[in-house]
Amino acid sequence: MTDLLRLLGLFKPFRRSLAAGIALSTGVILANVALLSLAGWFITAMALAGLGGYTINYFTPAAGIRALAIVRSVGRYGERLVTHDATLRLLSQLRGWFYVHLEPLAPARLQFYRGGDLLSRIRADIDTLDNFYLRVLVPTVAAAVSVLVMVGFLAGFSVAAALIDLAGLVVVGIGMPLLVQRLGAVPGARAVAGRADLRSAIADSVRGMDELHVYQARVRQAGHVERLSQGLVAPQRRQVWIDAVAGAVSGLATRLCLWLALVAVIPLIAAGRLDGADLAMIAFFILASFEAVNPLPLAFRSLGETRAAARRIFALVDAAPAVDEPPREAEPPPIFDIRCRGLRMRYAEGARWALDGIDLHVAPGQRLGVVGATGSGKTSLFNVLLRFWDYQDGEATLGGVPLRAYRGETVRGWCAVVSQRTHLFNTSIRENLRLAHSGATDEQLWGALRQAGIEAEIRALPGGLDTVTGETGTRLSGGQARRIAIARALLKDAPILLLDEPTEGLDAGTEHAVLQALETLMANRTTLLITHRPQALRHVDRVAVLGDGRVLEQGTPGELLRRGRYLPIYAALG
Amino acid sequence: MARSAAPGKRAAAGVLSGWLRRQLRRARGPLGLSIAMSAVDGLLLIGQAWLLARIIAAVAIDGRGLAAVWPWLWGVLAVFAVRAAVTPLAEVAAFEAAARVKLAVRRQLYDHAQALGPAWARRQRSGAIAHTLTDAVESLDSYYAGYLPQIARATFLPLAILVFVFPQDWVSGLILVITAPLIPLFMILIGKGTERLNQRQWRRLARMSAHFFDAIEGLTTRKLFNASRREAAVVARISKAYRHDTMAVLRVAFLSSLMLEFLATIAIAMVAVYIGFRLYYGEMQFLPGLFVLLLAPEFYVPLRNMGAQYHARMEAIGASEQIVALLDEPATRPARGEAAARIGPLTRVAFERVDFAYEPGQPVLQNLDFAIERGRRVALVGPSGAGKTTISQLLLGFLQPAQGRVRANGVDLCDIDAEQWLARVAWLAQRPTLFHGSVGDNIRLGMPSAGPEAVRRAAAQANAAAFIEGLPAGYDTIVGDRGQGLSGGEIQRIALARAFLKDADLVVLDEASASLDPETETLITQAIERLARNRVMLMIAHRLATVRRADEIVVLDHGRIIERGSHRTLLNNNGRYVEMLSLYRGGMVDTP
Repeated sequence: MTDLLRLLGLFKPFRRSLAAGIALSTGVILANVALLSLAGWFITAMALAGLGGYTINYFTPAAGIRALAIVRSVGRYGERLVTHDATLRLLSQLRGWFYVHLEPLAPARLQFYRGGDLLSRIRADIDTLDNFYLRVLVPTVAAAVSVLVMVGFLAGFSVAAALIDLAGLVVVGIGMPLLVQRLGAVPGARAVAGRADLRSAIADSVRGMDELHVYQARVRQAGHVERLSQGLVAPQRRQVWIDAVAGAVSGLATRLCLWLALVAVIPLIAAGRLDGADLAMIAFFILASFEAVNPLPLAFRSLGETRAAARRIFALVDAAPAVDEPPREAEPPPIFDIRCRGLRMRYAEGARWALDGIDLHVAPGQRLGVVGATGSGKTSLFNVLLRFWDYQDGEATLGGVPLRAYRGETVRGWCAVVSQRTHLFNTSIRENLRLAHSGATDEQLWGALRQAGIEAEIRALPGGLDTVTGETGTRLSGGQARRIAIARALLKDAPILLLDEPTEGLDAGTEHAVLQALETLMANRTTLLITHRPQALRHVDRVAVLGDGRVLEQGTPGELLRRGRYLPIYAALG
Repeated sequence: MARSAAPGKRAAAGVLSGWLRRQLRRARGPLGLSIAMSAVDGLLLIGQAWLLARIIAAVAIDGRGLAAVWPWLWGVLAVFAVRAAVTPLAEVAAFEAAARVKLAVRRQLYDHAQALGPAWARRQRSGAIAHTLTDAVESLDSYYAGYLPQIARATFLPLAILVFVFPQDWVSGLILVITAPLIPLFMILIGKGTERLNQRQWRRLARMSAHFFDAIEGLTTRKLFNASRREAAVVARISKAYRHDTMAVLRVAFLSSLMLEFLATIAIAMVAVYIGFRLYYGEMQFLPGLFVLLLAPEFYVPLRNMGAQYHARMEAIGASEQIVALLDEPATRPARGEAAARIGPLTRVAFERVDFAYEPGQPVLQNLDFAIERGRRVALVGPSGAGKTTISQLLLGFLQPAQGRVRANGVDLCDIDAEQWLARVAWLAQRPTLFHGSVGDNIRLGMPSAGPEAVRRAAAQANAAAFIEGLPAGYDTIVGDRGQGLSGGEIQRIALARAFLKDADLVVLDEASASLDPETETLITQAIERLARNRVMLMIAHRLATVRRADEIVVLDHGRIIERGSHRTLLNNNGRYVEMLSLYRGGMVDTP
């Protein structure tokens, strides 16, 4: 509940247009009820007048009926416009808010959501929250308000009829949706899981089709897929039954309300306490009143999703930044050498030490290769040097000044990074490059591309620098993307260079080209190069082999290749 | 599925809806039942309106009391009860119809994919095919359980209502008749335009979302350039621009629904006012008047629902597009004829002047001539696209040469029964697939009847026993998509165990190209050495270490053999092989 209140709090700046949408929605519901019940009243009253031979004022109700028809149609149009406008306002507010809150957390607090999981979940959650107003808020509030108005109005004629209507509305609007949700939870989850199992079994069959053929397991796998396919029907059937019976019960409840109200009101008419025309009016009124609660089952379903989404999004946003920034910064260091003494770091209290007493020194302009198995601490070392994470023990210094004396932004200003994960944005190559140097001229950009050894390839693209990269644009090869990232690092012209497996995943020819480009980039920069490709080690002055968060051995590549215990193992794998 | 008005597109949609209709033969029974139940419900709805009108007329006009109308009240209660029983039946029967079609279509798709064979599967994205077989097939629901029953109802119920309304009051009937076709007409006329606008808006929304999530995905990169805060303003600006655009479009798009709403509502109002005046002037009885007024809103309900069903149909057509495209892939595996030749233990496999092409005029292999003998390891090397994979596919019998022969012990592979041949072959994929099930089941893939001892022995030979026994449930640990996560090296060793268990004559190995840590690397190399012993083995090599150990290296480029010989011979040749080696190694480690 608190999550929902907090979500509503985010919507505060737009409360007027939100309220307007709800008011219009309520108005449309009430106009429809009024239209039908007035029509019922009107024809009965006209029939009675005709039979009784007396005249009545028929202009007002006849005009009222036409007016209500127009109000309903136009109101519906207005409602749609206003609620969609409000939804779009919320959408931009929500996304802006989310981005601003997420920004200080990246990447430290986000790394528990690896591999697209974070992204696809955030995507689904934000979409759910985007729809909160339209799917949940508007229908529930409009239903609540119009139910109150309708029941109040009906009570003016017959309290019994009003209570019967209220009871029916509660059953149909709240009772049934809750019941459906409870009963449908298990088959719903089963259907989703069954579908996922089926999907992955089929993907396996396609991916591993040659294995299924060679190992002559085709028929068995086909049987497995068929069983999953049939197994999916059972929970779906159950869901359909639940929904269908609930729908029938809701319809029955609506009609029973009408029936009970007739039984309650007919004696009043016979007793002369109500007019004959009122009976028709009440009958139509009750039938039409259920329109107010029609959207509630969907709203209930969405409410559950919204709460879960809000909880996850708030939990993410509420995480504390991983690094405390110093109140006042030290002067920039005179030289850019990197030194670690007994550096220890871990990602959580009580967790394994990711860095467990690292001692390193990289002199200004020197290049250090960092080698080690997965989990040996290479990436953690970069996380500390980039001030993405704090360290707990020991010291890391830049030009003799403790890293902690600088703000993360300042430190990152001195570092250029190229890694296998370096992201190229879904925009032009020019914009991607200008990220590093927003005022760069095209000449400077071409210069950087030339040094990165990719100028000719970009010139050959039809759009040149305006070529859009990424999902919606041209697909660049891995090697091209990596060299653009190198050009970007060149443009940044930072004194420190951190390279995280810059050639990983590239084929031998491309790797060669990328290493050539890196050679240019590394000139006169203090460089750390994480790699487990021995060919890359040709480009460094010294190598440190990491294992379990410690430096196992360090020296020049030649030395270690001849006499080291660990490096030769890596090198032999070429 | 952008919906342009191009005639080709429309013709395609016609073909697809024809396909959708043809699938009906699988589900006529339940669908007929559903429509029949829905028709019964419609008739009861009309009866209910008449009974209600009767009760209200008796009380309001004739001044009767409760006692006089009890029989009618009981009658209407009975109608309520029957309707409550009939409506769920209609829905469930529609579901059963859809379920039958879905199962049958999925089975057909799966069989077809299998018939297309491994050579086809290699060129597909498995996720996309899985999506077609699961999600696209599930989307057919909206056609068989949604669209068709609704269309039937939207045809039947208004007609039935008109049949009852006309005799009572032909003017009201006329109002309904005139407005009724306008509603679907408007939906089709304006709906199409709206649809296009909506589609465009959707694409814009998708683009805006893509930008937003691109910004989040690249947050770390942006932070490295201290450019992350700048982006917040961009996110806000883009969202705002999107809102302005969208609202401009929606103001027009919603006009069509305004018209629909207006037509239906104003028609009811006209009927009410008209009936009122006829009653006033005594031209009509109250009972029929009220009956007509009660039916008027019901008349429009199914017509309005058709708007939603239009989307359901488009969704199903979109889904069937993928399905039909897959079913239309021609299965071109040539028949092997009477393939009854038998061969003894395999000693030699030879490619004799083999040509192959996937597309005419684009040869993949040309005049390929080489042989592998028992105990002699042959490594294929060459850049990607050189034809290495095609060779392995020919050897497995998934493809047949266009020219030339592949012979096993001198017998043409085409003359050997496919299953006989596959029984003698083991295949190690570059990225092996673990099927959902236990580790043991995965090792037993080729020999489902193998006992636990044999499985354990195979695992030990593949250097996999130690890590498998360390898993939470050992050989019974469930692996695959939702099971225990295994590393690339572990998966490869399970695949190796599969090959050991099968004990095949011929092993075809497509070596993994991803880098592994040194220990794993050593374990796998050892296991492969062991597997190669006393078998015919062809390796598609990606690692220098493997190449060096091969007895013969065949260097391929553009479908031709450009060099062959041992590592040492090739080094002495100082040709293409040496050139490739220097790229592999960056020239750092000195030659052996």
